[in-house]
Amino acid sequence: MRTRTSLLGLGFVSPALALLFAFFLMPVVLTTVFAFTNMSTATGITGGSHVITGNLLRDLGNAGIDNDVITALGEASFSVTSETLAAAADAGVEPRFLGEIEARLMGQNFEDARSFESALKSLPSRPTRIRELKLATEPFERSILNTRYASRADMEAAITSMAPDAPAETISTIAEASYTGWRWIDGGNFQTLLDRPETIRIVLNTVFYVAATLAFNVFVGLFLAITTFYLPKTGAGFFSVLWLLPRITPVVLYAVMWKWFTWDNGFLYVIAEQLGLPAFNYMKGSVPTAWATIILVNGFVGASFGMILFSGALRAIPIQQLWASEVDGASRWQQIRQIILPQLRWPILFVTSYQTLSLLSSYEQIWLTTNGGPGSTTTVWALEAFNTALNNYTGNLEYGMGAAMALILVAVGLVLSILYLRMFRFDELVNKPRIEF
Amino acid sequence: MQVTLKDFTKTFDDMTVIDKMNLTVEDGEMLALLGPSGCGKSTTLFAICGIHRINGGQILFGTRDVSNVPSQKRNVGVVFQNYALYPHLTVSENIAFPLSVRGDDKAKIEREVRAIAELTHIEELLARRPAQLSGGQQQRVALARALVRKPDVLLLDEPLANLDAKLRLEMRSEIRRIQLETGITAILVTHDQVEAMSMCDRIAIMNKGEILQIATPTDMYRAPVNKFVAGFLGNPPIVMLEGKASGDGRFIVNGGAGLPLPSRLANIPGDTPLSLGVRPEHFGAAGASQVSGTITFVEPQGRETLFDVTLADGVVLRSIQPAREDVALGHKVAWPLDAEKLLAFDATGQAV
Ligand SMILES: Nc1ncnc2c1ncn2[C@@H]1O[C@H](COP(=O)(O)OP(=O)(O)OP(=O)(O)O)[C@@H](O)[C@H]1O
Ligand SMILES: [Mg+2]
Repeated sequence: MRTRTSLLGLGFVSPALALLFAFFLMPVVLTTVFAFTNMSTATGITGGSHVITGNLLRDLGNAGIDNDVITALGEASFSVTSETLAAAADAGVEPRFLGEIEARLMGQNFEDARSFESALKSLPSRPTRIRELKLATEPFERSILNTRYASRADMEAAITSMAPDAPAETISTIAEASYTGWRWIDGGNFQTLLDRPETIRIVLNTVFYVAATLAFNVFVGLFLAITTFYLPKTGAGFFSVLWLLPRITPVVLYAVMWKWFTWDNGFLYVIAEQLGLPAFNYMKGSVPTAWATIILVNGFVGASFGMILFSGALRAIPIQQLWASEVDGASRWQQIRQIILPQLRWPILFVTSYQTLSLLSSYEQIWLTTNGGPGSTTTVWALEAFNTALNNYTGNLEYGMGAAMALILVAVGLVLSILYLRMFRFDELVNKPRIEF
Repeated sequence: MQVTLKDFTKTFDDMTVIDKMNLTVEDGEMLALLGPSGCGKSTTLFAICGIHRINGGQILFGTRDVSNVPSQKRNVGVVFQNYALYPHLTVSENIAFPLSVRGDDKAKIEREVRAIAELTHIEELLARRPAQLSGGQQQRVALARALVRKPDVLLLDEPLANLDAKLRLEMRSEIRRIQLETGITAILVTHDQVEAMSMCDRIAIMNKGEILQIATPTDMYRAPVNKFVAGFLGNPPIVMLEGKASGDGRFIVNGGAGLPLPSRLANIPGDTPLSLGVRPEHFGAAGASQVSGTITFVEPQGRETLFDVTLADGVVLRSIQPAREDVALGHKVAWPLDAEKLLAFDATGQAV
């Protein structure tokens, strides 16, 4: 019986569990996995192959690999084999000439282009033009440089053939380094972040951005909720909708509106010019105005959220309490300070915690307005992570690094959530539940 | 402090709820505003304490016109129907609130709160929060908060409505005791006649925004000015019979037999339309005339028993008597009627 009930229970919760896993856990798991790799556009996210490039050779040389081996790998050689002959046929080398090469030079190796060319020149049906001769040598060139090998074994075999004297461990090191796919790099991304000088600046930017926007959200939300509460009802409805507009306007439109508002020859610009105040592109022209723009853009979106929550909580206070405080002699301000605000404590804490978390991970408005500038003065963590992973203008998207940055964000958010949850729980403990079991 | 309403008028939007009401509450008096739900009792109370602005007339505290004084400056104590305690403050903070917003010093607040807590018997609750109190305890806290700054007037809006029957009885005498001890002028809003009669010096009975009669409870019960007042006071209620005067000192019930009229109405001309009010205690106890009929309903109430007696012509009279079991349903009885105490009203409902 017990097992049946628990199975039944499991049956009921399994859709929820599946959803939880798919939409909540999976992204975190993937982020965590990516964070410990060097995935990028260059490595791809599936497997890779093995290639030795000129750059890699240089790096290997610097890393102390024997110079002879490096030189050997860098050299090209020419050999006549059935494969190279086939390649030459594909490349359109004249068949008679090709037949002669096969008949006379089959199986031979040439150290460099010059000796191969002179061997070719000795053939009767060689092309008369030197350029065609040079072209004909190309298919026979066998170089390890820039050649893709599907597996590591192939690469090792190729290295051995080019540099037969190289010790086994050197070969193994080179083959390893030649891998083009992504690989596990442990905490490499985090180490890089720690070492980067911009990191601290971005962290400070983020803290400032979250704190300032949050303060704006909560104070303006409170202010609006309280003023609309005291306003006649007809006006209040209109104002609520007005303040909701930033939230219900599509974010791109909203950002464009702000651009129009703050940019060169925009609304503010023209007004400032008329008044003889400094007129420039406020959004990107100076650090303080850029910050002001970002905080206002995000602040107005969040203020309506606070306002709606606070308004609801305000209306839940019985009107008699407010009447009572008035006949008790409390002024408007005392009424707000001593009766209303204490009863808005939990909504305020809720808005604070919820907004902290959502601001920490938000970057859309910044991206669409200042885009982190001027310079990187208004770049926040989430924007940097987004740019690193998904929006790099050099074209190399560093998924691994971006994931590492996102993971840090997730961790910070998690710690904050736990802290906030404990605060809420604490309240429940203080107020014993009204409904007992 | 004497409270006077002069031509007090209150409208909500276009609806005039109270039109030119006049009322004087004497210094140290406890007056009940009694009336059915929606008649404007709370509206009057809220106008006195300044929660509602008045649309016409004057409100005087003593000789001071407070019509345009904000509620903060009127120095009235109000106990709301749902008590309106501040849930985030402790009992002592709740009581101290009127003093602390005024800026009194700590020691004084402490002293005053203790004193008022003693008066209202809630000393041991001071550290609790409102949510941890019973209804009766919350009631006392609300009363203490209303009284703590020694207001000129105490206003109570149905303060007992949320209490159970026993607690209501207890708080009734408790509030009256405190009012008498402090000598404060008090106005009690209620729709419960028993509350009004047992707690107050005088009753102002209201209907549809109008005060019909102001009198002591006994006077009002004995001599109501009209049918509404007669019907509103008394439990079980008065029986109202419609008919006319016979011209020879009797009353003819519509389509039926006659009943005696009080002797003061002996000279009333015949055919005058009248309503005759018979309270249950006026039938079956004492009196000169006998009325006979059949018992058609019996309701034992413990100490008393309530009977319905149907007369030969179908008229039903109600009688309340000390509990008795010698008569039962269906019995024929002939009981005395105290004709002198009967109430009579003319066609407009005014007492005659
Ligand atoms: N804020 C308001 N807006 C409009 N009408 C109101 C308002 N407050 C009261 N009224 C109306 O005024 C009339 C008197 O209301 P009031 O609250 O004074 O009644 P009451 O005598 O206290 O009744 P109750 O015993 O039910 O509390 C009612 O008809 C009510 O509908
Ligand atoms: Mg009322």
